[in-house]
Amino acid sequence: MEISRREFTKIGCRVIIGAAAGTAVIESLVTNGSAAGESPKGEYDWNEHYWGFVVDTKKCIGCGRCANACKLENKVPFDEPVYRTWVERYRVLRGGEVKIDSPNGSIDGFTDDIPAEDIKKAFYVPKICNHCDNPPCVQVCPVGATYETKDGVVLVDYDYCIGCRYCIQGCPYGARYFNTEKRTADKCTWCYHRITKGLLPACVQACPVGARKFGDLKDPDSAVNKILDEERINVLKPDLGTKPKVYYVGLDREVR
Amino acid sequence: MNGREPLLLNGEKIMQPHLKRAFTLLALVIIAFIFVRSLVVPQSFGQYGWYRGDSVNEIKNFQVEYAGSAACGEENCHKTIYSVWAKDRHKTVNCETCHGPSEEHVGNVRIMPPPANDSRDYCGLCHFKRAARPANFPQIDPETHGENLKCTYCHNPHKPWFI
Repeated sequence: MEISRREFTKIGCRVIIGAAAGTAVIESLVTNGSAAGESPKGEYDWNEHYWGFVVDTKKCIGCGRCANACKLENKVPFDEPVYRTWVERYRVLRGGEVKIDSPNGSIDGFTDDIPAEDIKKAFYVPKICNHCDNPPCVQVCPVGATYETKDGVVLVDYDYCIGCRYCIQGCPYGARYFNTEKRTADKCTWCYHRITKGLLPACVQACPVGARKFGDLKDPDSAVNKILDEERINVLKPDLGTKPKVYYVGLDREVR
Repeated sequence: MNGREPLLLNGEKIMQPHLKRAFTLLALVIIAFIFVRSLVVPQSFGQYGWYRGDSVNEIKNFQVEYAGSAACGEENCHKTIYSVWAKDRHKTVNCETCHGPSEEHVGNVRIMPPPANDSRDYCGLCHFKRAARPANFPQIDPETHGENLKCTYCHNPHKPWFI
């Protein structure tokens, strides 16, 4: 088939214009356009903040008050094995075996069921949603019911979630669970209803030893930035490229 | 036929009827899609991104349960015990960590939070000897320390080193 230069240019132009127009129409449908740089109504302006979290595993005593406070603050069912935050116990035995457990998410504390002389080293690691800057759970949501806010918090829209559980599968940190009361996926919000009122997340406030710190990464003097500037820190599974915003001090290589 | 003649010329001038029908149908489907979508998708969807913008404020409006220690006594009702606690070693343990969430009580003093758990096991959540705890954290061996008495028998939880 032969085609003249003029015809080819004509068809090409039409295709380009058509594609551009189509994209513009879809774009205008999907983003309501106007409110790009704005903040949701209220006194709190999400453009002024970008939240971060620091966990000091060297301070944690495994009392589980964080996990308990979280369930009370956020009405997470106590009779189900679901947690927005929990504490894991790592025990490296003399033989080299690593035992990891978190009975009832640490809410009832821990009891020593391995004699101390068999343990080479042991420590607690508090876990929580990492509020990734590149969240796999948000990518897999088919309906746009989970998202990262401008101030860096990953939230679930409980009215819009269809409960398909893809996000629970997608999270490499196991931070999401299925809420059987709401029939939706659910997760840590960094107590978004508290931090937007100037309060600390419930788990941070409940921690008796200051192993959990929360603050604004945009504020150079915040509790979190002070630690990030001074300590040697790491994040969980950095190789996944999820860009977590929960930073750990004293993270052992055994921690997954 | 000369090979150089453009083949499309004829097709361009009069669109064939079966193509016309197909394109009309496609246009109708697209219009119907846009119409249905505008009815089904919530107003605020896409306001800030590919999600329902209103849900941010819905989550912001959730009920707060923990009021914070300052609400208890910094300049309020429980000033005396607050000033004792704030000077002593348990000052890192906030009121509500033992006394339970009290925002409701702050709003209405007639609603009492459940009494603080003063059992031996509750103190033990932090202070019983455990292999995984940092060694410099104060811990006791529950078998040998305190003869199974309530900790508060000897220790004042607000001022743990002196009765």
